[in-house]
Amino acid sequence: MFQRMIDKSMAKSPWIFHINAGSCNGCDIELVSVLTPRYDAERLGFRLTGTPRQADIVVVSGPVTSQTKDRLVRTLAQVPEPRVVVSLGSCPRSGNVFKGSYCVDGPLEKYTHVDVSVGGCTPKPEAIMAALAKASEILAEKRKEMRQA
Amino acid sequence: MTTLLWTIFHVLVFPGLLFCVVVGLLLAGLDRKLVARMQNRVGPPLLQPWYDFLKCCGKETIIPRHARRGLFLAAPVLGFAALITAALFIPVFSYSVYSTSADLVVILYLLTVVGVSMIVGAAASGSPFAGVGLSREMVAMISYELPFVLVMLAVGRMAGVGTPLGVTFSLQAIVDWQAANGNLLFHWSMIPAALAMLFVIPCEIGMHPFDIAEAETEICEGTLAEYSGPPAGLFRLTHCVKMYVMCALFCVLFLGGISTGYAALDALVMVVLSVVLTFVTMSVPHAVCARFKVEQVFKFYWTVVAGLALISLILVWLGL
Ligand code: SF4
Repeated sequence: MFQRMIDKSMAKSPWIFHINAGSCNGCDIELVSVLTPRYDAERLGFRLTGTPRQADIVVVSGPVTSQTKDRLVRTLAQVPEPRVVVSLGSCPRSGNVFKGSYCVDGPLEKYTHVDVSVGGCTPKPEAIMAALAKASEILAEKRKEMRQA
Repeated sequence: MTTLLWTIFHVLVFPGLLFCVVVGLLLAGLDRKLVARMQNRVGPPLLQPWYDFLKCCGKETIIPRHARRGLFLAAPVLGFAALITAALFIPVFSYSVYSTSADLVVILYLLTVVGVSMIVGAAASGSPFAGVGLSREMVAMISYELPFVLVMLAVGRMAGVGTPLGVTFSLQAIVDWQAANGNLLFHWSMIPAALAMLFVIPCEIGMHPFDIAEAETEICEGTLAEYSGPPAGLFRLTHCVKMYVMCALFCVLFLGGISTGYAALDALVMVVLSVVLTFVTMSVPHAVCARFKVEQVFKFYWTVVAGLALISLILVWLGL
């Protein structure tokens, strides 16, 4: 029963950790706007956490530059299971306008499995909210799989 | 046999583990909801802290390579146990379980153990962020401990004038004195001490404007930086229960005389008062203030808050 209760609360309290992998800061600001009174992601239980150790959803923005690559991989390795990776904006998907630059080592899929990807430069807050809601559903599924395994 | 059963009941149900956890989670949820409403948001559901705790229980526990495994895992349990023990000594108005001649001193030390367990856990995790966090936690402890002790001295002196020692540290005696002579909150010489205690509450708990040790935007959650899974959940739970314990302590110290005579009703009054105190001391400052700097907290507590407590202490000692 306790396990079932944990399963249920998994989707209700996803904590977000945000990694900036060389983003232009547009996506980062838009992610913060999701937490403002107008969109209020906290009503779904989202909370921005400061440490990867307590994160459930890792949001990556930016095209993964060569400077941030190693840090990105190391930080992702510090997140406990079950975890969900969300790529935010067009940059981690394709490199966007930075594609072909000597210092861009993207896309993000090279380094980790991406569960949810939001397109746009920058994505609308509504789209980010939808992606985060989707991510919390995937989180609950992953937890169930982990328990059954 | 029955005494044994009663002891188990007291420790596990009321006023121990179950009661504290339920009320603590309720207060924490209400606090988040109230802050959200004050910021014109919808806010998380009332049960959010409960979901958070359960979620943490379902996560993997990572023990960093540089951590001392035993201490790292024991610290949250130690802190939580000390806090529940402290709660046992706080009478729910006239309903007191363990009453000794100096429970106030015991509570003071047990609350310190809670803070110290946080420091020990952070130190054992071997993370530089936790290192910064623990040094800040120490500063916070030094800041609020002085006014806290001064408040206790003032209350003890006020309630213990007739006793042979001239001062009492028994919460039961303080409650009885208030039942006979009126609540301490309404004695004019105690009002500065009550104000000081209201300031001590959020800092002791580490609520938002005073959460210098867990500043998630500056030092990655500080003392909790390396904790994941159930131990992190237990630290969060300790935080919630501490909200109730501190509110209850304020009620007993300053409003101890309003007992109704029925334990269940007393508990209800206690919960309602705790909700009011949570609103006044935690939600409003959280919604209104930005986080203080480390030295600002220290200065504020050692001048303004300690000054208020000292005024009361002097007035009481002069017999006013
Ligand atoms: S997707 Fe656009 S807004 Fe977002 S980081 Fe890339 S360039 Fe900036």
